[in-house]
Amino acid sequence: MKEIEYTINDPNGIHARPAGVLVKALKSFNSKVTIFKGDKNVDMKKLLALMGMGIKQGDTIKVQIEGDDEEACAAELEKSLKENF
Amino acid sequence: MALDYRKCAQEIVDHIGGRDNVAQAAHCATRLRLVIKDNSKVDKEYLDNVEGVKGMFESNGQLQLIIGTGTVNKVYDEFLSITGMTAATKDDVKAAAAAKQPLWKQLLKPIGDVFVPILPAIVASGLMMGLVEALGKIPGLNFAGTDWYSFLDMVANTAFAYLPVIVAISAARVFGGNIFLGAVIGLLMIHSALTNGWSAADGYGVWYLFGNIRITDSYSLLQINQLGYQGHVIPVIIAVLLMSNIEKWFHKHVPEMLDLFITPLCTVLITALITFTMIGPVFSGLETLVLSGARVLVKNPVGAMVMGAIYPVTVVMGLHHMYNVIEAGMLSDPALMLNTWMPIASAANFAQFGACLAVGLKAKNNKTKVIAIPSALSASLGITEPAIFGVNLRYYKPFLAGMVGGAVGSIFGAVTGIGATAYGVTGIPGYLTINNIPVYTILLLVSGGVAFAGAWIFWNEDVKTPKKAEEDKTEEAAPFEQKPVITCEAGEILAPVKGNVIPQDKIPDETFATGVLGSGVGIEPEEETVHAPFDGTISSVAESKHAVGISGPNDMEVLIHIGVDTVSMNGEGFEPLVKEGDKVTAGQPLLRFSRKAIRAAKHPDVVVVLLTNSDDYKEVKLGN
Repeated sequence: MKEIEYTINDPNGIHARPAGVLVKALKSFNSKVTIFKGDKNVDMKKLLALMGMGIKQGDTIKVQIEGDDEEACAAELEKSLKENF
Repeated sequence: MALDYRKCAQEIVDHIGGRDNVAQAAHCATRLRLVIKDNSKVDKEYLDNVEGVKGMFESNGQLQLIIGTGTVNKVYDEFLSITGMTAATKDDVKAAAAAKQPLWKQLLKPIGDVFVPILPAIVASGLMMGLVEALGKIPGLNFAGTDWYSFLDMVANTAFAYLPVIVAISAARVFGGNIFLGAVIGLLMIHSALTNGWSAADGYGVWYLFGNIRITDSYSLLQINQLGYQGHVIPVIIAVLLMSNIEKWFHKHVPEMLDLFITPLCTVLITALITFTMIGPVFSGLETLVLSGARVLVKNPVGAMVMGAIYPVTVVMGLHHMYNVIEAGMLSDPALMLNTWMPIASAANFAQFGACLAVGLKAKNNKTKVIAIPSALSASLGITEPAIFGVNLRYYKPFLAGMVGGAVGSIFGAVTGIGATAYGVTGIPGYLTINNIPVYTILLLVSGGVAFAGAWIFWNEDVKTPKKAEEDKTEEAAPFEQKPVITCEAGEILAPVKGNVIPQDKIPDETFATGVLGSGVGIEPEEETVHAPFDGTISSVAESKHAVGISGPNDMEVLIHIGVDTVSMNGEGFEPLVKEGDKVTAGQPLLRFSRKAIRAAKHPDVVVVLLTNSDDYKEVKLGN
């Protein structure tokens, strides 16, 4: 299992459109991806669930990736987070 | 509009985990009382919004749904017919719930259960007593000397004179005993061979069944006072509880062939012996103690204030029927003959009315209004459950305002020393039993007024549903004809907004147009309300209010995004009408937006409708 922590810089947080980009990037992997914020956690591959987290600028998120391609998935996610958020 | 009882019951059944999750069901004057096996299967949020359900709470190990007088029994009947359950006696419900509640509640609850069903008898008697006495008091009429007066007085006081019988029957029902044997016990306790309890001061005889073994100067071991239990309640309830248990024991241990000979005989004999030798003296003594304590408390303004304040809290806990005992005791006490408890109860109840009325008048939300106004009316007539559970407690501040109002009114009542000639009625019907109408009027005005003012000042409606939205909701009650804009094997997604549908690649935004977020269409809006595209559940409302996620049949997930780059408007011009977790039906308004505001912010106002998990489906057809 891989874990990523990231603090959101984007002033709009993880909102609809860029959230979709993230989800799209993750969907090509087999790994199970779970995002944690505070005491909430959801399947990060589900756009609506991810949006429902209401992640804002300054929030620190934790993501757990588990599966046969977790290394590649984690690398892609980290890249995507840095580019978009 | 009359409530659809069947629909209401069906919705309740559907959201408590179905028939299998219900251990027992019963109802009281206003509430449907259910014992639930697994509370996690109960969709409380949904239940709270079922039409007909005015409020919901858990108490005494039961799930209690407030439905209202005259309605609850009809919903209950439908509930039974839907679930195929048989009507549970309160005893069953109590027993099923008993495992879940603390001991003191187990002990106190039956008292309320015994009293609620007999309220009609007591209210009828109380009102009639009040009327007859009021007529008798009119100077110059000389009504008190007429045959009519004597006759009506007899009719009126029947329920009070033979209260132990009524209580015994009700108690037998609650405790699962034979109600006719219960009636025998009740009658026995006021048998005409005994000295009337109200005439105890004139002296009475004593039987020494077990010899005259003196314990104290005035009491021999197991002596039986030849004194009736008129005016007593607790000893009667205890006696019948004992009777019911003895009866059940015999039923279990006596062969069926002999059951009818042995069981009733032994039950009555043993109960009678124990009642008169032990339960009777102990509990009548205790009850007298409690009553005199209450009477002292009531006379003292501070005590009255405390009682007035906590009265509604005891209603919430279901303890308020205990007060009938105090009131009955006061009325049957020859030295008092006046119910000085009633002004306190009235102040407390009328304060709940005031607070509830304030909510009803101040509320802009129609649903709040239609609940609060009738609930307030009912409270003004002394039945406060709908107001307390349906409105005041839910918003919490009106309840507190009611407590303050009740406390203030109670001080006033105690200082002026007014009282009633009956019990069972408070609020406006209380006029018929009160002994000082002008003072009572002031008491009601003070308690109701203080509570009204408190609730009016401190309670504010949740600003999420401002007046504007409410008006528009009704205006748009007839939504436009929604046509499907996306179709896949899982179902149809209807246009959430009226307007010209444009292909996905014409949406003026690269992310939407390229389908990264899923397949969909754009709509150039001709109105400013977003409607649900299917029956589903709101899974997210964007922080900046410009997008709504909704999941529907067969896991379809749809994102409705209003405008492009509108996240930067920070919610300005958007007004969600739903929240995360809400269940919606196709066509229901979800969100309002201002096209003017979007244009002013220089963003395209196109509404983007996307099936975000379109990858999961094979055939996705766009456009209509």
